[in-house]
Amino acid sequence: MSDDPERPDRVNALRDQLRALGYLDARVDRFVLGGAVGSTRPIAFAFAASLRIGILAGVLLGPAAAIGLRSRAPGLITSTADAVVVAIYLAVFFGLAATLVSALAVWLGAEAARKSHVGPDVPRRARRGALAAGVAVTLACLAYLTLWWRAAAGPEQATLAWSLAALAVAAAISLLLGHVVAVTVLALLARRGLGDWLPPGLPLSSPKTLISLGVIAFTGAVVLLIVSAPARDDSPPLPLTVVPTGLRTVVIAVDGVDVATLERLRATGRLGAFNRLLGRSVATMPSDPDRDPARAWTTIATGQPPERHGIRALESRQVAGVGGRLRTESRFWSALAAATDVLRLTRPAIASGDERLSPTFWEVAARAGLRTAVIHWWATWPVPQAAGIVLSDRAILRLEHGGPLDGEIAPPELYDALRQAWPARRERAAARANLLAVPGPSEIVASALRRSAELDATILDLASDPAVSASDLLVVYLPGLDIAQHTLLGSADASGLAPSAASERVTALERYYEFLDDAVGRLLETSRSEGRVVMLVTQPGRLAAPSNGILALSGEAAGIGQLQATVTTVASTVLYSLGVPVAGDLAGPAATQLFAPPFVVAHPVRDVASYGPRRTAARPGAGQPLDKEMIERMRSLGYVR
Amino acid sequence: MSALPSFFALYQEAVGRALEDLVPASPGPASPVIDAMRYTLLAPSKRVRAVLVMLAAELCGTNARAVPAACAIEAVHAASLMLDDLPSMDNAPLRRGRPSAHVAFGEAVTILAAFGLLNSAYGHLVARYDAALAQRLAQVLSEAVGLDGLVAGQAEDVLAADAEINFDTLERIHRRKTGVLFSAAATAGALTAGGSAEDVGALKAYAKNLGLAFQIVDDLLDVTGTSAETGKVTRADARRMTFVSFSGVDGARELAAELCATATNALAPFGRRAARLKELAEFVAARRF
Repeated sequence: MSDDPERPDRVNALRDQLRALGYLDARVDRFVLGGAVGSTRPIAFAFAASLRIGILAGVLLGPAAAIGLRSRAPGLITSTADAVVVAIYLAVFFGLAATLVSALAVWLGAEAARKSHVGPDVPRRARRGALAAGVAVTLACLAYLTLWWRAAAGPEQATLAWSLAALAVAAAISLLLGHVVAVTVLALLARRGLGDWLPPGLPLSSPKTLISLGVIAFTGAVVLLIVSAPARDDSPPLPLTVVPTGLRTVVIAVDGVDVATLERLRATGRLGAFNRLLGRSVATMPSDPDRDPARAWTTIATGQPPERHGIRALESRQVAGVGGRLRTESRFWSALAAATDVLRLTRPAIASGDERLSPTFWEVAARAGLRTAVIHWWATWPVPQAAGIVLSDRAILRLEHGGPLDGEIAPPELYDALRQAWPARRERAAARANLLAVPGPSEIVASALRRSAELDATILDLASDPAVSASDLLVVYLPGLDIAQHTLLGSADASGLAPSAASERVTALERYYEFLDDAVGRLLETSRSEGRVVMLVTQPGRLAAPSNGILALSGEAAGIGQLQATVTTVASTVLYSLGVPVAGDLAGPAATQLFAPPFVVAHPVRDVASYGPRRTAARPGAGQPLDKEMIERMRSLGYVR
Repeated sequence: MSALPSFFALYQEAVGRALEDLVPASPGPASPVIDAMRYTLLAPSKRVRAVLVMLAAELCGTNARAVPAACAIEAVHAASLMLDDLPSMDNAPLRRGRPSAHVAFGEAVTILAAFGLLNSAYGHLVARYDAALAQRLAQVLSEAVGLDGLVAGQAEDVLAADAEINFDTLERIHRRKTGVLFSAAATAGALTAGGSAEDVGALKAYAKNLGLAFQIVDDLLDVTGTSAETGKVTRADARRMTFVSFSGVDGARELAAELCATATNALAPFGRRAARLKELAEFVAARRF
């Protein structure tokens, strides 16, 4: 008989029949109820069984939610290890949530069933109560998992086959949790002395019922998925064809510029380079009331508002054990961050490129085949592949510290040459910073100026490196003026200054404008070439007073005039100058009025529907991340507390 | 493990002595009915049900008051065997290693002796326990014997003889003929020790699974055992549907082992106190007689 090939099937069928008749017990039921059998009080029994249900739900839902969170919180999960840690966190979260929900469902189901006195209707009530609790949990779980899939699935996963497979798994998980909740309700009733009255068999457990419910659940999930589908265009981004304009564009971004001070100094003739940059067409841009530099400059770089590009604040949260970050812009996340800080589960981190959802104008230009270089712009670390030359906001730190790259510089081949030239570059920068001499300054003023000047001088020196400057698009971000201004006038130390001390600081700042003018002038001299246009982009920095930014165009293709623009026009204007089509979904159109009319006539704006989402690539990860050094540097410069 | 667990002897002895008192030998002229009652009741036996009563009571606190209930259960069991073996029913010539009661005493005496044992069982409960407990125990026993118990099970078994029955029917017959008395034994033991509803529930789950396992092993022994081992005629069920018919010998062994494991799991709340009942379950799964 033991050779009978059909024996296993037959025995399995008998096993199922015995389970339906109240013998044996399913392993999952045993697991759930096994933790509760020692509990004597009904409430303790319900909670103990629900705790096991919570464990089951945590194990099943944690990994699923981690995958979903990867899409909802870009930048949080950057590696498999991150995914595992986040899955564990979420498993704990979902485990606790499921414990509470199932304890409530079990309790309510049992209460509903035993409402009446013991009598002939108890079996019917018990079955109804158990089924109601089980079905409620099944539906809640199925709705969550289906909507999770709707939110989590990227274009690669949202195929029909993947979706059907995911929904089948969702239906199975939901039924399993519903089943154990129903079983627990009956077990609780038995624990309360109603065992003799309970109906034979278990709800949601016979093969026929399970198959029927599975089909219904699966169909419901498919319908929910279809109903909740947002109207979206999943078509791949169109190829970007460049119609060369013959221009080379240099973008000089200066943070912390007070337009009134700039104009006053220009009027005295002390700012020759700025005079040239502002001498043709100039647009005034109302700046974001939120002074956060990472937020404002990413808006400029992407041409999208913060809610679309994803960088809403300089400071994000790093979850303990996870390499990625969590944005904390909403009240919920801020409250969560505050709570988790106490538990040392999160710590501050600087917003990174992993959190950015939209491509920057230099990434678009590089995708279109142009040679691009960008230096020190916010949220550029880690650098994606094939994005031209990128010396990220951590590049200077890496060049200072040495060691293997961790996504600070692209292409990686550039690193050795830059590292070799680093000592000489630092010396030159220090020498230039020393030229910034203010008569009789206090130490704090001298220190602020020197530190800012060295940083700006280093960035400009990097920009003049032949390997970097020979680009169709050169983008330089200069934070020095903002750092100096914030230190001298915006810090706590600056409040309540005596007029003489305040005057000394204002004078020092004016001197910094001159230093900057000189340094920018040198860069423009060394990078002078035919067809070059320079765009000066300024922002008022972190001072609270309302102020405007400037977008100025200079060079042969520039027009003459004054106009109004928005910060979201910068990206499309830069791309227009290079002959790259302008995406229709950018928040601001190209400011063609900045250009000379013949140029605009010769080069009409071409458009494309969208640049699509930002493409990221895993960085090599060979080097040690400079997270700690970065946060300390930002702290010392007054960006974070 | 096929030998009886060592602790059986202790309980067998205690129950055996009490059974002598339950049906004392006739002081006067010989009575065939009393002889037939004693012949079956006192025949060498494992006394699994009686031991179950004792162990359940022990588990719930004390077995000091469990012996009369164990005797009542044994009396009911003996009565059911006498009736089952009758020519009009299973027509079994051997029981407990010797001729069945109807072979030894004739059909009429056997029927009367069976009723005598049933009557003694209820009388014993009333005589040995206070009214409330006696009432509860009598109710438990009555349910085990009655229309959803031994009587119903034997009726369905007789009427289904030689017929094709499905698995559900087979389970129902076994449950009524064997399972309910196991459950009654466990319940009775718990009640004599003042066990809580939770204790009774766990023991019932234990007994339910153990009872079916016991019957499956019985079916297995009918196929694989010998009369010398089992004390009854083997291959008697050759023409009837049994668990072995549905699952095969290996499948039946597998299911019996799983049922015993489930029975053991049901006792998890009792922890180490349930060690003997767990040993009993292991014995049932492995028994050869």
